[in-house]
Order: sequence, then structure tokens, then C-alpha cells
Amino acid sequence: MANEILEEHINKDYEWGFTTDIAADEAPKGLNEDIIRFISAKKNEPEWMLEFRLKAFRNWQNMVEPEWAHVSYTKPDFQDIIYYSAPKPKKELASLDEVDPELLKTFAKLGISIDEQKRLSGVQSNIAVDVVFDSVSVKTTFKETLAEKGIIFCSFSEAVQDHPELVKKYMGMAVPPTDNFYAALNSAVFTDGSFCYIPKGVRSPMELSTYFRINASGTGQFERTLIIADEDAFVSYLEGCTAPQRDENQLHAAVVEIITHKNAEVKYSTVQNWYPGDKEGKGGIFNFVTKRGICLEDNSKISWTQVETGSAVTWKYPSVILKGNNSVGEFYSVAVTNNYQQADTGTKMIHIGKNTRSTIISKGISAGFSNNSYRGLVQIKKGASNARNFSQCDSLLMGDKCGAHTFPYIEIKDRSAVVEHEATTSKIGEDQLFYCKQRGIDNEKAIGLIVNGYCKEVLNKLPMEFAVEAQKLLAISLEGSVG
Amino acid sequence: MSLVAENKSAVTQNLLEQLQKNSSKIAFMPDTEIVSAIRILEDKGIPNNKHEDYKYCNIEAVLRKEFKTVEQSFNELTNADIAPLKIEEAINLVVVNGNYNEALSEKMIVKGLTVKSLNELSSSEKGLLSSQAKSDTDALIALNTAFTGNGLFLQVDKNNIIPMPLHVIYVNSGNSSNVTNTRNFVNIQASAEVTLIESFYNIGTAKVFSNFVSEKFVGENAKLTCYTFQNEGALSYSVNTNQVKISKYSNYTNNTFTLSGELVRNNHNVVLADSNCEAHLNGLFISNGTQSVDNHTLIDHQMPHCESNELYKGIAKDKSVGTFNGKIFVRKDAQKTNAYQSSKNILMSDDATINTKPQLEIYADDVKCSHGTSTGKIDTEALFYLKARGIGDESARKLLLQAFAQELIDKIEIPSLQERVLHLFEKAL
Repeated sequence: MANEILEEHINKDYEWGFTTDIAADEAPKGLNEDIIRFISAKKNEPEWMLEFRLKAFRNWQNMVEPEWAHVSYTKPDFQDIIYYSAPKPKKELASLDEVDPELLKTFAKLGISIDEQKRLSGVQSNIAVDVVFDSVSVKTTFKETLAEKGIIFCSFSEAVQDHPELVKKYMGMAVPPTDNFYAALNSAVFTDGSFCYIPKGVRSPMELSTYFRINASGTGQFERTLIIADEDAFVSYLEGCTAPQRDENQLHAAVVEIITHKNAEVKYSTVQNWYPGDKEGKGGIFNFVTKRGICLEDNSKISWTQVETGSAVTWKYPSVILKGNNSVGEFYSVAVTNNYQQADTGTKMIHIGKNTRSTIISKGISAGFSNNSYRGLVQIKKGASNARNFSQCDSLLMGDKCGAHTFPYIEIKDRSAVVEHEATTSKIGEDQLFYCKQRGIDNEKAIGLIVNGYCKEVLNKLPMEFAVEAQKLLAISLEGSVG
Repeated sequence: MSLVAENKSAVTQNLLEQLQKNSSKIAFMPDTEIVSAIRILEDKGIPNNKHEDYKYCNIEAVLRKEFKTVEQSFNELTNADIAPLKIEEAINLVVVNGNYNEALSEKMIVKGLTVKSLNELSSSEKGLLSSQAKSDTDALIALNTAFTGNGLFLQVDKNNIIPMPLHVIYVNSGNSSNVTNTRNFVNIQASAEVTLIESFYNIGTAKVFSNFVSEKFVGENAKLTCYTFQNEGALSYSVNTNQVKISKYSNYTNNTFTLSGELVRNNHNVVLADSNCEAHLNGLFISNGTQSVDNHTLIDHQMPHCESNELYKGIAKDKSVGTFNGKIFVRKDAQKTNAYQSSKNILMSDDATINTKPQLEIYADDVKCSHGTSTGKIDTEALFYLKARGIGDESARKLLLQAFAQELIDKIEIPSLQERVLHLFEKAL
């Protein structure tokens, strides 16, 4: 029984593995100062931006690739990557009609064109999308509607041109270019990304979203997202991603920074579905991402929600620095690994301000030959009085060839802090399955039901549209992994 | 980069030079073992905080700062020095500066019990040494192997139950900066049973770096109950490695009580090598001043139907640092494993630090593994309850801390040891 279902699942293909035939404007392979100057010139960047890149690059050259994560892979050859790939023709697009029809088809296949279509037919939707294709932002929708409220939501390159003062002020604040190997690499070669600024007292009327797709072969994707919520502002931000099916490993090294001012709140949700490689573990995306938010001022809140189902190797720790007093950090995560996928993911909560609170809920599910690790740090600095943290990491194992691991680090330097951590590892209970089957629910559906129940705490945190997608993804990723 | 690498080996090289000056030939350890241990030590270097397992316990820095020169000169000890350390219900054995001291030990003939020094091992018994604690797993085991003292060999023969506990007193007595490498081997054969108390003291007048390695083997259906009692004082920096392997149907328990010592690092590594065995590790520490106490456990579940339990509690006062790093490793074949780990700590001052790192590494699916850790302050409501009943602030706090620790102190089944722990614990409060 188990074998049958497992077989079926293993044969399941990656649904988003198509490539799109679009001529791309590419830089030559390799990485040196000239390439960085080339990227910078291509994007018509001001001098200070080039300086930022070069400084990061010089730092990166002295850095060593980290090896502490519980993953094993062949290190990428950084000279064998194309650092700039933009779909042609690259001109300013006024309306969707001007977008390459091939590109539109791609998005239709990805299932994200609905919003666009609705917009065209005049139907209001509540999501504004920024689409990043091979590191270059293609189209941002609803820009005008948002502009009325004073919200700036555009591609990173546009922000550099139109709002240099904001970019200059906030870029590198949460993730300095010297932070780590991949953040430094990103800072040197990032090609585009999304930029979002919510002014004082504004609640974003709709959910903002970025959709990332790697298309060209031999390229790496290095995008950068910067979200700033000024005093009393609120925004819910979504991120999605897919990539074509290729035998090679492609590198995705992104940086996401969030900055919240007084009483502001940012909710960041990700459904990560990069190509995970085939059932032999060949190909797939290396997802080495640095995500960090700073609760800069009092009473602010940053919340990360992630559903991780893709990538061959994931190395990702969305973190919150709780600097302002009474600030709140949250991390909700579901990470699913199957076949030969490896995930080392978790969070860091750094408590600096007084009365700061953080919650970590992490649910790991491993199947096939995969390895799934939670790695987290909770740090209560001296003087962070009455800090409070609760962490819970559960792992679910499906099959006897996979692994589930937890590596929590807890460092406390304040006596008024209360920190709790608990973790469990188990498999789907026979009794739970039996209970469902007894009520006429077949094995497959019962597993789906139990897994969804297991992840409920996290899925509940996702915005409606994403929750549906996430549940579907979970079901596909795990179909019949247990008998 | 290269500069850092050179500095790193400098501490190790200096230590090697200092120790080689004073060392004599170790007859019971094969030369090949010693040579490879030195090579491993040179390669790996003494661990510092860059080393994942020693992240919160920088041994290299201690050696660099406190043990630049190692003179290895010791005071002679007499019966009078040892007498207060003895436990009356037990057979007291004494190991001084890493060497088994027969003259100071109590002599008693017990059926099925063998007590001798490592020098007196038969050639087949010599083969046991380094069978559990392998030099390549930890540079400090390599250091011990290369410069090991004439330690103790304890064996309980098949089917023998030793009626009274054995008490091994490890005492250091240096009068200049010293490094002692104490080693022992405890061999509990099939269906045998014994209780072993291991106490650690330093009655010397100078700083000592005590690098202790104990290899313990528990045979089929055998039972070994251990107590580790650490009261080494402010001059002592110690690393204690317990490398234990347990067999089918066997039962191993260790209760560790750390009451003083400037730096105390405990490595409890237990390999559950066959099915249906149990391991229980418990620990309690109270630290003050600039002390650092680091309990590190590694439970390696290799076979199915085994159980392990861990409970560690700590109270950190003043500027002290308490660390718990526990790892449960469940291998592919270890189905039906039941593993539980819990660490609870109380911080008594804003300058104190608690680091915890409970780890699970699991490769089998039909298992129940969990860990929990919590760190906090004294429950203010409980404190209020007591104060409302006319108990003063200080005594109320003491009462609550005692209640916190009682669970572990209650695990001691030897009355005079329990009394000793309780007395020192209360004093430390």
C-alpha cells in the first residue's frame, strides 16, 4: 500500500517546470568588477549605488562560503553564473497589452494572470502584483491606485531612480552588505526586486505581492526586496516563486529587508515553490536567502509566514530584530521536503527593547530521502526586560529514509525574561488514520486532512488566496507519502 | 586568515611542549594510539568557540590565559586529606592527579569486583582502552589519550550484584599550574549491577586543568547507576567526558551535581548500541561568581525499542554562565525510540547568562522524540503566596529554589551523598 502510493507520488512531476521562449538580454558569464559595473550601467544607476555594490563585492571576495548548515551540496561555481538576464524587449510598458504575449502565457500557466485579467476587465481585485522575471521586474500592477494613498510600490530599479533618498536611507539597514556570504553577493550583483513604502498612518487597501520566476538557464536570481512601514502604517505582503525544470542547479540568493517605525505592522507571507530537482535529486534551485526585519521603534510588529515546498537546498532564516520597546516578532513556518530535498530553515529573534515578545511556530514535514532541519536563535540581550518568547517546532516524518532535525539556540542575558521552547518529532498516528478511515475517508485524503490539521496553526496566518494555494501545494507535495 | 590559524595551533603546540617535558612513557596504551592521538590533537587543535560543540565553552581561551606554563608539580596527600571526602556507606577508592592511589583507597574483597590500576591490565584488558572514547571524535579525548595517567580499571563480573556503592574520589593537589589527564574504564559485564559515585575535588593550591575521560561499558541486562559529584572550587577548570556504551536490556543512569568549579564542562555521550535498553541522564547545577557550567549530552540511539530521558536544571547567579546542549540522535534502524529531553533554568541576576541548545537529529520515522526547555525567573505569584503567609522575601526565594531543585536531589539514593549535595546547594543559595 505504502509503496504504491509512494511510487505514485514519486512519479509526480513538478507542475511549473516549463520554460518560456523569450529572448533575454544577458551579461556574459562570470563575476568581476566589470560585470558589476555592467549591471549598474545597464540599470542606469547613480554613483552611490555602484559604490554600494563594489563595496559589497570587495567584502564578498574576502568571505568564505558558510558550511555550518545541515545540508550537503556541490558548491556553485560563481564564475559559471550569468548575473544579469533581462527578458527582451526591455522598454517601459504602459499597459499589459504591450507585454510580450509569451510572457503573459507564462503567467497564465503560473495561474497568476487572473488579477491582471480582472484589472483589465475593470473588476477590482485586492492584490497588487510586482512580477520579477529572471531578476528583472516586468510589471507592477495597481500602481496608480496605490499612489493615491501615497503608497510607493514599484520595482527596485524604479525606486533607485525615483526615490533615491528612501533607498539610500533604508537599504542595508536590516541586512548590511557585510552580513553574510550570500547577502554580500546579492548586494554586489542584485538586478532588481520590489520596493514598498507605506507612508504615515496608511493601511494598505490591498495585499501587495511579488512573484519571482527564474527562466533563463545558467542564470542566478539575485533580487532584493525592501519594505518600509512608516508610523502607524500597515501592509500585508505576499511573495511567490517558481522556476523551470533543469538538470543544473540554479542559485537564488535574495535579500528581503523590512523596517517598521512606531506602531507600524508588516505581515510578510511566502509560498516558496522553486523547482526542487527531480526524484533522483538532480537539478533544482539552491535557495540561499537572507530575510530580516527590524522593529525600529516602539509598538511595531513584524510577522513572517512561510510555506516552503520547493528548492533542492534551502538555507533561509527570516529574522526579526526587536529594537523598539513593546515590539512583536512572529515566525510561522511550514517546511515540506520530499525526494532528495534539503532544508535548513528557521528564524532568529533578537530581543533588545523592553517588553518585547516573539512567537515561533515551525512545522517540518519530511518524506522520501529528504532532510529537514529547524535552526533558530532566540537571543535576549541584557536590558531587554520582561522579554517573552515561545517557540514550538514540530516535525513529522513520513518514511524511514528521511531525517528531521532541530537546532535551537537560546541565549538569555536578562533575568526577567521568560523563554520557552518545545519540540516534538513523530509520524502520523495510526490511530488518527484509523479514525479517519473508519469514517469512510480514504488513506490519501486522511493524510491530507491530518497534515493540513498539523499545519493549521501556520496556514491560518496566511492571507486567504495564499492559504488555498498553500493547502493545494501541501497536498501535491505529500500525496501518499505514508501508507 | 592565516594569522588566526597559526595562533590557534600555538596554544595547542605550547600545551604539547609543556606536557611532553614532564611526561613519561605510558606502558598500557599502545604507541600507535598515542602517536595518532597527538596527530589528531595537532590537526584539530584545542576546541574554541568557533567549534560548534564548544560554542559556549572556549577551552582554548582558558588554556591560553590560565595555563601558559604547566609545571606538573603536586603535593603529597595523606589519609587525613582524604578522610573528609569519603562516603561512609561506600567503598572509597582514591585517584590522585590522574593516578590510582592504592595506599589511600579502602581495601575490601568483594566477590566479582576487580579494582586495579591501568598499569596492571592484562593484555586482553588493554584492548578495551580507547574502544569507547575515540581520539578522533574530540581533541580533548585525544589530549587525554596522549598523556593519560595511571587511572582506574573497575570491573563487575557476570551475574554479580555489588551490595554497596563504589565511591571513586578524584582529587587534584597541584602547587603550580597543572594539567591532569585522568582516565578510567568501567566494565559492567552481563547481568551485573553496581552503583558508582564519582566525586571530583581539587585540594591543591594552584590552578588545575582537569581533563577527565571515563569509558563505561554496560553489558547485556546489566545495570549501572552513576552519580557525578563536582565540587572542585574556584581554582579548577575541568572537562569531564563520559563515553558510555550500553547493551541489550541494560539500564544506565547518571545524575550529575555541579556545585562549584570555575569552569565545568561535562560531556555525557551515551551510545544505545542494542535494542530494549534505557539511559537516564539528570543534572543539577548552581553557579555563582564568574563560573561557567556547560552540560553537553549526546544520546545516540542506534537500535529499536530503546528509551532515553534527560532532565537538566540550573540556577545561574552573579556573572555566571550556564549552558545546556543536548543532542538526541536517532539512527535509521532505531524505530520505536522514545526519547525525552528537558532543560529548565532560572536566572538570578541580570549579569548571568543561560544558553540552551537542545537538538534533535532524527532519521527514523516511528519514534516519539521531544524536548522542552524553559528559562525564567522565580514565579512572582508563588513568591507572593509565601510572603502573604509571613515568610520573608529571602527565605521565600530560597524555599522556591529548593523546591525547583528537589526533584533532582530526590533522585539520590545514598543518604550521606544526598545530605552532602543538599548542604552545599543550600550554602550556594
